Formats: sequence, structure tokens, C-alpha cells
Amino acid sequence: MLNEWVYNIAVWLDDTRWSTMLHESYYMYNWVESTHVLTLMLSLGMLFLIDLRMLGWALPDVPASKMASRLNTPMLIGFTVMFITGILLFYAVPVRSAQSVWFRIKMVLLVACAINAYLFHKRMNESVASWDNEPRAPQRIRQGAILSLVFWCIIVICGRFIAYDWYDCNYGQTAFIEFMAGCVDGQERF
Amino acid sequence: MPISLLGPYGRSIITAAVIAAMLAFTLSYANEYAHGSLLGFFEWMETTWFGIIGKTWGGVFAIIQAFHLLSMAVLGGTILVSEFRVLGIFLNEISPQTVVQRAHSTFVWALVVVLFTGVFMACGVATKVYYLPVFWYKMLALGAGMLFHFYIRMPLYSNDFSQLNPRVLQMTAIASLLVWFLVAATGRWIGFSG
Repeated sequence: MLNEWVYNIAVWLDDTRWSTMLHESYYMYNWVESTHVLTLMLSLGMLFLIDLRMLGWALPDVPASKMASRLNTPMLIGFTVMFITGILLFYAVPVRSAQSVWFRIKMVLLVACAINAYLFHKRMNESVASWDNEPRAPQRIRQGAILSLVFWCIIVICGRFIAYDWYDCNYGQTAFIEFMAGCVDGQERF
Repeated sequence: MPISLLGPYGRSIITAAVIAAMLAFTLSYANEYAHGSLLGFFEWMETTWFGIIGKTWGGVFAIIQAFHLLSMAVLGGTILVSEFRVLGIFLNEISPQTVVQRAHSTFVWALVVVLFTGVFMACGVATKVYYLPVFWYKMLALGAGMLFHFYIRMPLYSNDFSQLNPRVLQMTAIASLLVWFLVAATGRWIGFSG
């Protein structure tokens, strides 16, 4: 039911003129994809430095609260650009992406990252005054930082895997993969 | 020739000369001879363990690619934080020396991972990248980036910032941002070529 609904939306998007134009445009698609990838340096670059600071592995003598608050703005600008370009990349190839097991794992992990980031900031703001100048954050904050690093590593790996067709629906996958990918029509549309 | 003869900008002049020489070599006929003699080396790269693993298991190759991207993200993050601080964009309550020096150790680790994963990836598709002009542009950009970083930027930033010309610091920070952006952009370009 949900897969059918997602599939119908993907087909509707695929039928739009702009989706075809974006997909078929060599330069525009590459510009969008390149922007999506290169913005990693701004978004994940800042995020990883904050996480590594909490673990005591990067800039340990810079106050944690200053690192988190000052790097937050460029990080959010980076994530906004990645979000917009990510939507455009999905819009360019909606049917295949909607039925990609890697894309689905990536989306679930993005939600997990958002929840983790909310809890991380909440816990940090509650207690940062007592450990701001310590080289390592308390254990709960460090756990959040490790989770963030692990989730984002898997997200980037999944993003890379989307380009490969090992588990595409049109190859007659196992029932488990078909369930995970939500295969509806074997991606005949793509 | 002692560097001191070149005045206070000896390292910059030498680095610019090396980059200009590399560019001239790339665009000259001598490059064709050197390029031809390297084919055997690139064919050998594909027969190494890295080459065999990269060609046999696409999943391993893709994971290494992902870690290449992640390490580039960390490398880019350290450069952005350092240069934005030097330019006075953020973290102004912390001394620029502290930010630059602490970020540098993370930069070195990220660069080691970038180089290791880059060599692995190159081994997997060695004879393909050998024929891609953009691969050589990337190598040129990477060489220029590392030369600039370790030979000009870090020695300059190890001085007391209050004694340095602010304009020189700004130019260095902008050059650093541009050169590492060029490294990342040419790397991305490889993916669209061939």
C-alpha cells in the first residue's frame, strides 16, 4: 500500500517535463550532483569537527560550546544546499531512487541523525557549562558524537551505493530485497 | 641559490615557479614522452592487491570511495575552520594560531586517509585514469595543494599573526581555500570523465 503510493508519486514526478530535462541534461545533472558532493566539505566537515571535538580528537583546547555554536551556521548552510540538491537528484531519477534499498536506508538514517542531533544539542546545552573547557565531553555527549559519526559514514556509503545497480528491482531480487526496496514494477519505468 | 636572496617571499616564489614548471611540462611535448613511459607503471598498479581487490569487488571499491569522500569532508572542514578564523569570519574569540595549529593535526590525518584511499581507487581503475586528462589535473592540483600547505601556509601561520601583514594572511587563506576546492572539484570531475 505505502510502496504503491510512493511509486505513484515517483511515476508522477517522472512524467513531469522538468524531471526529464534534468535527467537528460548532462551539464545540469552533473552540476547538481557535484554541488551535492562538494558541499560535504562544508556540512559534514563542520559536523565531524564538532563530533571529533567532543571526543577530544580535534581542537581539544577550543571550548566545546564555541565550536558547536560557531560552526553551526556554516554547517546548516551546507546541509540546506545538500538537502536542495538531494531533492533535485531524486527528482531527476524518481522511480529508480524510490525503489532503491540504499536510498531507503539513507532516508531512515537521515531521520535518525536529525533525532540524534536534537538530543545531542539538548544534552549539551543542559550541561556544557560544567565541562566546556575539558578536552573530552561527558560520556553521554560522546555517545551522541559517535552515533553521529557512524550514521553519517553509513549515509555516505549508502549514497555511494545508490549509483550501483546490484540490488535494482529489475534484476529479480530475493524476497527480502524486494521487500526492503519496495519493488512495484521492476523499475520498468526507469 | 639561497632562498634569502629572493627576499621575504622566497618560499612563495619557489612554489609559484614549481607550479608554473609543472603546468608548462603538462602542456609541452615533453609531457607526451613522460606520459608514455608511465603506462607500464599504471598497468602494474592494476596487478597489485589494491588493483585486484578494487576490480574484483565493486562493493569494497565503493566503500573505499565513500571513505575517500568522508576524509575529504574532514580535510575540507579543517581548512574551512582555519581559513575562516584567519579571515575573521568566525571563532574570533580564539586565537588564530590555536585554531590553525590544532586543526592542522586533524588535517594531516585526513590527508593520510585521502592519499591511502586515493591510491587504492587509482589502482582499481589505473589504466582508465591514465588516459583521463582530468586525473593528471587532479594530481597537479593535489601536488600544488600539498606544496602550498606545507611549504608556505604552515611556516607562515607558525609566526606571530600580529607581526604579519594582514593582507598577506588574507591572501594566503583565500589561496588555501581555492587550492583545496580545486583538488575536490577535479576529483569530482574524474567521476564524470571516461
